[in-house]
Amino acid sequence: MTETDPQVAKSPEVALAVRNLNFYYGENHALHDISIDFPARRVTAMIGPSGCGKSTLLRVFNRMYDLYPGQRATGEVIFDGRNVLERDLDLNILRARVGMVFQKPTPFPMSIYDNIAFGVRLHEKLNKAEMDARVQDVLTRVALWNEVRDRLHAPASGLSGGQQQRLCIARSIATRPEVLLLDEPTSALDPISTARIEELLDELKEEFTIAIVTHNMQQAARCADQVAFFYMGRLIEVDSADRMFTNPKQQQTQDYITGRFG
Amino acid sequence: MTLATATQPEEARDKAGVSHSGSRRSGPDTVFHLLVAASALLVLVVLGGLVVLMGLGGSQAFRTFGLGFAFHDVWNPVADVYGAWAPLFGTIVSTLIGVAIALPLAFGTAFWLTAMAPPRVAAIVGTAVQLLAAVPSIIFGMWGFFTIVPFMARTVQPFLTHHFRHVPGIRFIIHGAPFGTGLMTAGLVLAVMIAPFMTAVMRDVFAAMPNMLRESAYGLGATRWDVMWKVVVPWSRSGMIGAIVLGMGRALGETMAVTFVIGNVTAVGWSLFAPRSTVASLIALQFPESPAGSLRLSALLALGFILMLLSFASLALARMLRGDTK
Repeated sequence: MTETDPQVAKSPEVALAVRNLNFYYGENHALHDISIDFPARRVTAMIGPSGCGKSTLLRVFNRMYDLYPGQRATGEVIFDGRNVLERDLDLNILRARVGMVFQKPTPFPMSIYDNIAFGVRLHEKLNKAEMDARVQDVLTRVALWNEVRDRLHAPASGLSGGQQQRLCIARSIATRPEVLLLDEPTSALDPISTARIEELLDELKEEFTIAIVTHNMQQAARCADQVAFFYMGRLIEVDSADRMFTNPKQQQTQDYITGRFG
Repeated sequence: MTLATATQPEEARDKAGVSHSGSRRSGPDTVFHLLVAASALLVLVVLGGLVVLMGLGGSQAFRTFGLGFAFHDVWNPVADVYGAWAPLFGTIVSTLIGVAIALPLAFGTAFWLTAMAPPRVAAIVGTAVQLLAAVPSIIFGMWGFFTIVPFMARTVQPFLTHHFRHVPGIRFIIHGAPFGTGLMTAGLVLAVMIAPFMTAVMRDVFAAMPNMLRESAYGLGATRWDVMWKVVVPWSRSGMIGAIVLGMGRALGETMAVTFVIGNVTAVGWSLFAPRSTVASLIALQFPESPAGSLRLSALLALGFILMLLSFASLALARMLRGDTK
């Protein structure tokens, strides 16, 4: 990470700078020429109808698509001065620095404690006391500590859906990433659990740059500082949440957020 | 019934059709009910019949030699003295060798096919695995006889003898003249035979694992190795036990292929490279020469009975390991 892109260095507020990104699922051209900045320590919500490419974009940031043959991206995603799409990039380090949370809670088949320690152990050598402290720290930050402190070594599958999702967020921040990617993190949760996750995002953004994909307009309005509207693989509009929901510039955005399609 | 009629009262013509799904059984329905119940009960009858036949047939041997029959290591048709230990030992050890070799093979193949292989290559290899599973066991027997046995006799055994004959822990395992037949050869052939089945089961288990779970692990920066050992394996534990039992079940009873390569000597010993026998191979070879009513035939049936119990035991063990007590 020694060579620094001068452009990015001048504006330290940008955590992820996407330039002319194109993405392909085999022959299917899924993202067209996307260029967008993700401000550091802000929440950027990505909205748009199903299949518009917002989740695809999220999966570019941690190169998740690399798991699947036939999927490829061109263009640039500058993160900490380096293009994430470079072939020789160390994916394991990238993924430790760019955490991801999915549509459904995905606790690993192990204890609550180990769910968090799993990711940490991949990248750091901590002694038991340090690991205990790390586990307590992240569980406290996702407001789960008081609920699970007595059963840290019980299987994570015994937690409720909302608790599991908070555990997954705790697991992601335990590796001390700079960016958090959230792919519809509340779509499988009830309203109360959803509200707690949204509150959590508000606290987490003080430390992390957050990119969240959501189908829920209210959620985007409540949580996001910046909102990007995608349609048919193209970025239609990106603006502050206030302007986006009160005075969008594009007719398509207007139609979508008022519920005329999507 | 009443609900169904109520929703479409005007359709008088459908009355007959509607009554089929009702609680009142019409003629064809009763017949169908009896047929499916009968086929289910037939399973119990056949299973019971097998156990009784083997048990009764073997009773003469059990009466003559007592329960010690299972652990007596002499099988001597000339003296009319029979003990099951030699073939039983051969069956158990060759099965364990087979499973031990097949397990990593099957696991690796299944993991690669589901997680790493390019789709087109995966399709080809997947089909090849199915074809391998469809090869009749006699083919494996001949392949073992013409390929593995000479290979073991000319290459593996001389090599092992040369390098390890003075190593105390290993010496007694490789002891013996280089015939090429024996438990190791049988285990190898068995491994090749059961690996496709185990691969198929494990592939289904891995494929059933949610992609999101896998991606969550990769998303934390885990390597394929970490994902495999810490997420995939614990998640698919019960499915993998199922695969192991399926393989064990086949290996325990495999007759033809093993008979070709085991050497067929009813002796007990730790050498994996000396001719031995298994329960199934011994029964297959000696059944035709055992007259009806003879003690020898009874001993063979008793062997069959024990083999059946062994298979049941492996199934029970699997259920115990899987944690379901029912």
